[in-house]
Amino acid sequence: MELREAPRHLMVCEKSNFGHEKSRHKHLVETHYHNYRVSFLVPECGMLSKELKNLVMEIGPYYSVKNLPLHELVTHEFIHTFVKKGSFSALTYNTSIDEDNTAALLPNGKLILSLNKDTYEETGLQGHPSRYSGRKTMKFIVSIDLVDLSANLDSKKYERVSWSFKEKNPLKFDFLLAWHHTGAEESTMMSYFSKYQIQEHQPKVSLSTVRELQCPVLQSSSLAGEPEEACSALELFDWLGAVFCHADLDNQPYNFISTYRCPQPSTVVAQACLCTVTGFILPEKINVLLEQLCHYFDEPKLAPWLTLSVQGFADSPVSWRENEHGFQKGGEHLYNFVIFSNQDYWLQMAVGANDDCPP
Amino acid sequence: MPATAYKRVVYRSPSEHHYLKVCLEFQEHGIGLNTAQFKQLLVSALKDLFGEVGAALPVDILTYEEKTLSAILRVCSSGLAKLWSSLTLFGAYKNKKCAFRVIQVSPFLLALSGNSREQVLD
Repeated sequence: MELREAPRHLMVCEKSNFGHEKSRHKHLVETHYHNYRVSFLVPECGMLSKELKNLVMEIGPYYSVKNLPLHELVTHEFIHTFVKKGSFSALTYNTSIDEDNTAALLPNGKLILSLNKDTYEETGLQGHPSRYSGRKTMKFIVSIDLVDLSANLDSKKYERVSWSFKEKNPLKFDFLLAWHHTGAEESTMMSYFSKYQIQEHQPKVSLSTVRELQCPVLQSSSLAGEPEEACSALELFDWLGAVFCHADLDNQPYNFISTYRCPQPSTVVAQACLCTVTGFILPEKINVLLEQLCHYFDEPKLAPWLTLSVQGFADSPVSWRENEHGFQKGGEHLYNFVIFSNQDYWLQMAVGANDDCPP
Repeated sequence: MPATAYKRVVYRSPSEHHYLKVCLEFQEHGIGLNTAQFKQLLVSALKDLFGEVGAALPVDILTYEEKTLSAILRVCSSGLAKLWSSLTLFGAYKNKKCAFRVIQVSPFLLALSGNSREQVLD
């Protein structure tokens, strides 16, 4: 790293209204697949409503399996039972995208492998070099369309993938799994993967109330803020980080320890509800939560806005859609909604150095 | 209020600051430091490597936990490399061997409120 240059990062800020026909909010949530942390902040709120609380507590189980061979994810039975009957998501557990072999199954049926050079060569599969590999390509990406494969099990393509995963280089990983489906029983997951020490996990939920919270004043029509009247989207994003990291928001400029202050103009709210859920959270559940939070303003509330933020897994091979994601120094890919009382919203999408611009 | 019109802005490297989640580990157990001492230690680390000019680099301690000697630091983006290298090379405090572990770094403070690499499954 050059001494005066930090790696580049990108932030997309959009403003729109949930009522706009062309609003992309659902799509952008849906296509951000691997979510580790979901948090929301509701100013002027001491306690969450029963509906919100229930939604949070039922954000859904996720599962872990040990030493699952990749060939199990390309069988006709697996594709038919899970991939075609809902949204199945999988991500290798405890693998570092910048160092280790990593695999992910996206809900659209694409199996993405991020492999070290040696492993890639041993699989005998067709892929392409990672965009973030540096001058000497050390990482390769293989993308396998399971839905396409299962359409023709006699094809040479399927034969080759099967042979690679079963014989040539049988790769096994610990995985995190989640499955969004309507109808079918939960027990399908547990019984189908019983050979691989499948365990069910509930996301961790933390709820707290903060008193006397300094909040930036915002105007939904103005992403860049207005001098003396409203803070910018960038300032809000920073402030939100300070709140969720429990930083002090009111330091003096000459303070030895910290000079961080809430951006101005600001108001003090008597209390605010903070909620954080961590686990392996499906985008479908996040969309339901987003909708419920929009309904918060169906009745008049003191709060002028609330926020919903989502952080992706640092070691996922993709950020949004199939955009390749790399770790570099932080592996961050996250987004935040500011939901205003009139259904205007801001959407901020942030990525680090080894990422494409969010869609 | 009427609905706002759609607008999209892409900012390239907008963060003026970078944030680091760090942890100080001593070889010996039971060494405590309060926030001011921790800050002083950071200043020494910068001074050791970069002299008086380095020591003057503004670093904010946004959070500090004395029990674990861990903190979230804020530094201007142009000072990130200086601070990080100072932390990496800092080896002893009052003759006691120690080392900084940099757990997370990001231009987005919000990214430091969660760390998927620390995920534990029960």
